[in-house]
Amino acid sequence: MNKTIKLANDRVLIRVQNLSFSYGHVRAVKDISMDVAKNSVTALIGPSGCGKTTFLRCFNRMHDLYPGNCYEGKILMGGRNLLGKDVDITELRAGIGMVFQKPTPFPMSVFDNIAYGLKLKGIRNQTELSHRVESALKHAALWDEVKDRLKSGASGLSGGQQQRLVIARALAVEPKVILFDEPTSALDPISTSKIEELIFRLKEEITVIIVTHNMQQAARISDYTAFMYVGELIEFNETDVIFTNPDVKLTEEYITGRFG
Amino acid sequence: MNILTKRKIQNKMALSLSVLAAAIGLFWLFFILWDIFRHGMSFITMDLFTKDPMPPGFKGGGLRNAFVGQMLITLVAMVIGIPFGILGGTFLSEYGRHSRLGRFISTLSDIMVSVPSIVIGTFVYAIMVRPIGHFNGWAGGVALAIIMIPVVIRTTEDMMSLVPWSLREAAFALGAPYYKVITQVVYRGAATGIFTGILLSIARVAGETAPLLFTSFNNSFFTTNLNESTPSLTVTIFQYAMGPYDDWHGMAWAAALVITVAILLVTVAGRLLIKWRYRN
Repeated sequence: MNKTIKLANDRVLIRVQNLSFSYGHVRAVKDISMDVAKNSVTALIGPSGCGKTTFLRCFNRMHDLYPGNCYEGKILMGGRNLLGKDVDITELRAGIGMVFQKPTPFPMSVFDNIAYGLKLKGIRNQTELSHRVESALKHAALWDEVKDRLKSGASGLSGGQQQRLVIARALAVEPKVILFDEPTSALDPISTSKIEELIFRLKEEITVIIVTHNMQQAARISDYTAFMYVGELIEFNETDVIFTNPDVKLTEEYITGRFG
Repeated sequence: MNILTKRKIQNKMALSLSVLAAAIGLFWLFFILWDIFRHGMSFITMDLFTKDPMPPGFKGGGLRNAFVGQMLITLVAMVIGIPFGILGGTFLSEYGRHSRLGRFISTLSDIMVSVPSIVIGTFVYAIMVRPIGHFNGWAGGVALAIIMIPVVIRTTEDMMSLVPWSLREAAFALGAPYYKVITQVVYRGAATGIFTGILLSIARVAGETAPLLFTSFNNSFFTTNLNESTPSLTVTIFQYAMGPYDDWHGMAWAAALVITVAILLVTVAGRLLIKWRYRN
């Protein structure tokens, strides 16, 4: 028995309606309906292979890069179906940022990494670029560590710094939503806590959806939690409820570590 | 015998065999280099680079015509071969990666690498020399370009495939269209590899003789007009080495020395450039 809550209309930014996704013949996401609240952090948890990442990658249509995939259902944002045929995917992705499991700095300088997305938006003015690069780096709490090496290669930064650089790069283009796909699983505890603090602060301006394997992390930073199992959404509720008093037995078993 | 001693002996054997194999390879390389230096060095003069050949029987003269001709032919090959090779490799690694056509072209291009260069020479003879009625430098450049293209395609495709997909996804996630992902992110990541591939392909074609014999042929006079037969170092070496005159032999040695050193320098420069780039 699945159990999900509906949010009040004025708090909803994205409404997922009966979303299914298949790769070829494999149905990886099955009939998910869920609301994503504006200016909040929504965590997707569940055992490996349960479809969390596949679900996450539907929001910016990352699957479109690969052949043989099929979406059913709707993802509504501002009244528009993101899965519609008329949607300009590059524009969609510019509005919904993504941060991956492993840091993905581009093979260019720290400055150029952040400026990349800005240049895509057509910003060419050097003063404006410098200004926005600086503010994105400050936002991601990286400015003090890199301000003297903006011109040197981004690959020289540590793993944690690289991940914050990538977050800064996503923030620089001012998206409405940022998708995080296990952003700290490749990082040490100190870098992890820095990124958690950052995500926690981000929700003042941005809506965050985060996939995580780490349940403590979900409990620490998220407002809402969705528990998925073999492609289905089992339970969706406020994080406090999920972690203290879940409705579904399976959720409780996963959270208490009896499987997964 | 105890297992540790056994392993040590096995290790020593494998090590000595591989050192021996490397030494055999290097021995011939240095033998050839030494031989070319020994014979060619005394014929390296200013005249070699600044004067054209004298008629047989007259002392002096140089190979200015062959140096310039070689450069022109190689330049034509580069202008055709590099862009086609890079674009072809880009298609195979990006747009054609899931298509049958892409895989087919990729296999075909690999086969092209091993086509004997004389076959390419005769092919270009048939399409660019016969119809015109005389040897010409353009045909030589095209023949070398045909040899160059599959080499550049292969390295470009390989080097671009080495750029992790996560990097492309990260660029797509920022809203970049595919052509910008390729030109601004993938090419940057693969640049040094592609550049090495280009240098190697230049080195490869600069030493070719067979495809030029049928196309640009040779010319004892200085020319920058690629519509007529154009001299090249390799064909000149071939002709002079087979000729009856001692000073021809000497010039052939000198030309062999110059072309070897030039190819060596191109390769070394490429490596240094890569090292320098990686350090920054």
